[in-house]
Amino acid sequence: MRIVIVGAGQVGSTVVEALHDEHDVTVIDLDAARLSALSYRYDLTTIEGNGASRRTLLDAGIREADLLIACTSRDEPNLIAAMFARRISPETRTVVRTTNVEYLDAWRERELDVDLIVSPELETAYAISRIIGVPAARQTDVFAEGQVQIVEFDVEPGTGAAALIGQPLRKAQLPENSRVASIIRGGRTIVPRGTESVEVGDRVIVIGSPESAREWSSLMARDRRKRLDDIVVFGGGRIGVTVTRLLLDQGIRVRLIESDRERARSVAEELPRARVFHATGIDPDFLERERIGQARAAIFAMRDDPKNHYAATLAKLHGVEFTIAVVHDAVSMDVFERAGIDVAINPRVVVAEELVRFAHDPRTQQVAMLEGDRYEVLDVTVRPDSALVNRPFTELPMTGSVIGAIVRNGQAFFPHRDDMMMPGDRVIVFTESSRAQEVEKAL
Amino acid sequence: MITTARLRRAVRRETIGVDVGAALNLVGALLRYLSLAFLLPAAIAIGYDESPWPFLAAAASTAGVGAGLEAVTRGKENVGSREGFLVVALTWLFAAGAGALPYLFSGDDQLAAPIDSYFEAMSGFTTTGATIVTDIEALSQSMLMWRQLSQWLGGMGIIVLALAVLPRLRVGGRQLFEHEAPGPEIEPLTASIRDTARRLWLLYIALTALCALSLAVVGWTGLDGRMSFFDAVAHSFTTLPTGGFSTRTRSFEEFGAASQWVVAFFMILAGANFALMYVAFVRGRLRVLGRDEELRVYVAFLGLGSLVLALELVSEGEFAAGEAAVRHAVFQVTSLMTTTGFASADFAIWSPLALVGLVGLMFIGGSAGSTAGAIKVVRHVLIGKILRRDLDQTVHPEIVSPVRLNRFPVDEKTVRAVIAFVLLYIGLFAVGALLLTIDAAVAGVRVTPFEAIAAAATTLGNVGPGVGFAGPMGSFEQFSDFSKIVMIALMWLGRLEIIPVIVLLTRSYWRA
Repeated sequence: MRIVIVGAGQVGSTVVEALHDEHDVTVIDLDAARLSALSYRYDLTTIEGNGASRRTLLDAGIREADLLIACTSRDEPNLIAAMFARRISPETRTVVRTTNVEYLDAWRERELDVDLIVSPELETAYAISRIIGVPAARQTDVFAEGQVQIVEFDVEPGTGAAALIGQPLRKAQLPENSRVASIIRGGRTIVPRGTESVEVGDRVIVIGSPESAREWSSLMARDRRKRLDDIVVFGGGRIGVTVTRLLLDQGIRVRLIESDRERARSVAEELPRARVFHATGIDPDFLERERIGQARAAIFAMRDDPKNHYAATLAKLHGVEFTIAVVHDAVSMDVFERAGIDVAINPRVVVAEELVRFAHDPRTQQVAMLEGDRYEVLDVTVRPDSALVNRPFTELPMTGSVIGAIVRNGQAFFPHRDDMMMPGDRVIVFTESSRAQEVEKAL
Repeated sequence: MITTARLRRAVRRETIGVDVGAALNLVGALLRYLSLAFLLPAAIAIGYDESPWPFLAAAASTAGVGAGLEAVTRGKENVGSREGFLVVALTWLFAAGAGALPYLFSGDDQLAAPIDSYFEAMSGFTTTGATIVTDIEALSQSMLMWRQLSQWLGGMGIIVLALAVLPRLRVGGRQLFEHEAPGPEIEPLTASIRDTARRLWLLYIALTALCALSLAVVGWTGLDGRMSFFDAVAHSFTTLPTGGFSTRTRSFEEFGAASQWVVAFFMILAGANFALMYVAFVRGRLRVLGRDEELRVYVAFLGLGSLVLALELVSEGEFAAGEAAVRHAVFQVTSLMTTTGFASADFAIWSPLALVGLVGLMFIGGSAGSTAGAIKVVRHVLIGKILRRDLDQTVHPEIVSPVRLNRFPVDEKTVRAVIAFVLLYIGLFAVGALLLTIDAAVAGVRVTPFEAIAAAATTLGNVGPGVGFAGPMGSFEQFSDFSKIVMIALMWLGRLEIIPVIVLLTRSYWRA
């Protein structure tokens, strides 16, 4: 597939990284230095110029391109690039990155002629809210209109899952309508055959119904009575505000701390149900006075990483149990996790996930990446002529890819040994990224 | 405060920052057009075979003064926002002066003194309803109707009316509208303030007509034989502006239960936000009524006040438990809280608790954007929220919580304005009560401190009746001239919501 990418910033680079192997990629950017850095690492074409100009797009071969990904940090050039592309080459699908919620709304109402609009802030807020909504989960994703959920857990000692640990999966009492998609042990993936078992220190990936996901999380939660309420959000930027709104909508009490007076005021006006404070997150007196330590979880969504890092560490010292930090620089990711911050989320990775999804088979409705980009979860419609249909699961080859759920006539169910796929089914497949194309072909 | 001499010197040196000439020119134009209002009572005088001359003479004088003012000053296409305060304040002073002319020209003994007729006219235009007249039935029909009509004109506002019909006020009208319209904020119904003024006046006229018709029906069907068509129209003219002038000395005590219920209902409407009612009734979006925070509190105040008063009346033995106790409680609470001032019974002789409660209600007032006076419910709501936020902030110094009204944040400037207004209101009330008490002692009029307090509250709040000799069945005639001047000033300040008048007393207003 021929892909034109406008913008070689962090999002652009992440997208290039995920796509350069299998596709023919052209990158447009105004900054020659960025382009040369990219072309040094990957095999691609680079064009120095303004992506929002027709000439540059034509130079980049937009007429022959299958996909345009406009992911500069500025909304309007992205949109204009997509508009020109639509005019010059109506067959080219377009994906636009935007930070503006209004554009997102306009797109949903079909007022913007773009195939996909992705907002890093919103996607990140969703990711954080999912983690909070399902305690102890590292990452969760929702498929098939919310009927299927994929949850990633770290198995820790002293959890309610003690009855499960060490038991062969075949015998273990797993929550109904769910299955273990993968077990990651020390960086190695274990195909969860019936004889395998979950051990302390493993990371397990589970596919199941939302109810089962909740059962799993209460099994895996450190304190089973713990309900995540009273959450503190540091930073009233777009991510902070969006995640606060999502949490409030779930009926969770949220306190938000913002260091800029004007911004704090406008956040307070926007979010009537949140308690907004004008303070810096690194003032120990303030943290003490407001008993921030008693919060069940804290989210650090300030603009720069060191500040988030420091504030998160300080909050931990004050007694906050669960910390989630937004990481802007990919390098900081490891620093954060090493420092004991429970979850680090990079908005650019989140948005890149969304963008990469479009580079896959057109039948693919949703792609989630787990463990960086090691695993993908695919949502595929089964071809009638696939070799895998109408055969019970026990007869299918074991490849390490797992069919987690089947959506038939809009209803999701979780297949057992004797079930089989039928033509036209939508299936939720968990697979290693390297095998993703193979899986898509087979189905 | 600046003296005349200094003002004159300032004008000569051109260091004065207000275009007094342009302001006076506009006031002249407004007066000239106000003179048309005298034609209605003149027509009634002819109809009832009374002399129309007091009204025609008043019309001629008013038009003459207006034209004179316009002639000696140079007009401007539009007045600036600074001149707006002066225009509004002066218009109301002059309008009361014009309104007093028929009383003077009629030669009626009860209003022969210029100060008395001016008091009566100011009480009329400001929709206060405090009267000098001791025997109202002795006035001629046309004079009675003029009293009622002056309240009706003042209720929705002279300038708002001018805005609706005078092309000259196309520019700068919004400022004038805001100075005259009651309440901390106005929400225009349409993009044009002129159109908003028109719609508000039309709703006002429609409600007045409905009130007159309802009362007339009560009279015709024999539910209340004493309610003549004249009385029906006259009282609807003073119900919708929450005025309170009556054609009877004993106010609504003279009329039957049915009339009292009808008037109580229309007083409740008159005390509600007209812009809100327009959206609800004319545009058919009734849901806005339930969503409005001020309206809910307004109704709650009325309900709670009526309930407490009814219980008090029954336990004190004023009325037997039954319809009469409920009716008088609802009527009186509504009348005083909406600053109308009608009386269905002589409440001045009720128990002290009932009386203190009723005087307290004079401070609440109706809704913003209604024709009612006093502090207004919305300001009470906001003050409550501001206090709650302050308590929150003492415990959590860093908390940022905007005060909200109907879920919309209220900006801090408005918050400060509300606090300033309430402080000024209480301050003026205190000064007024003090002056009345001192002056009564000096002039040798028997006024108890509570009566002085009630008189200050009732005039500043544009309510009407006080207690004691100035009670609902009495008159303000016994007060000394100085006390009357104090109360005229209070009525004027209260109607214009203090700020547009007080700002004229500051040096920075006049400085270039």
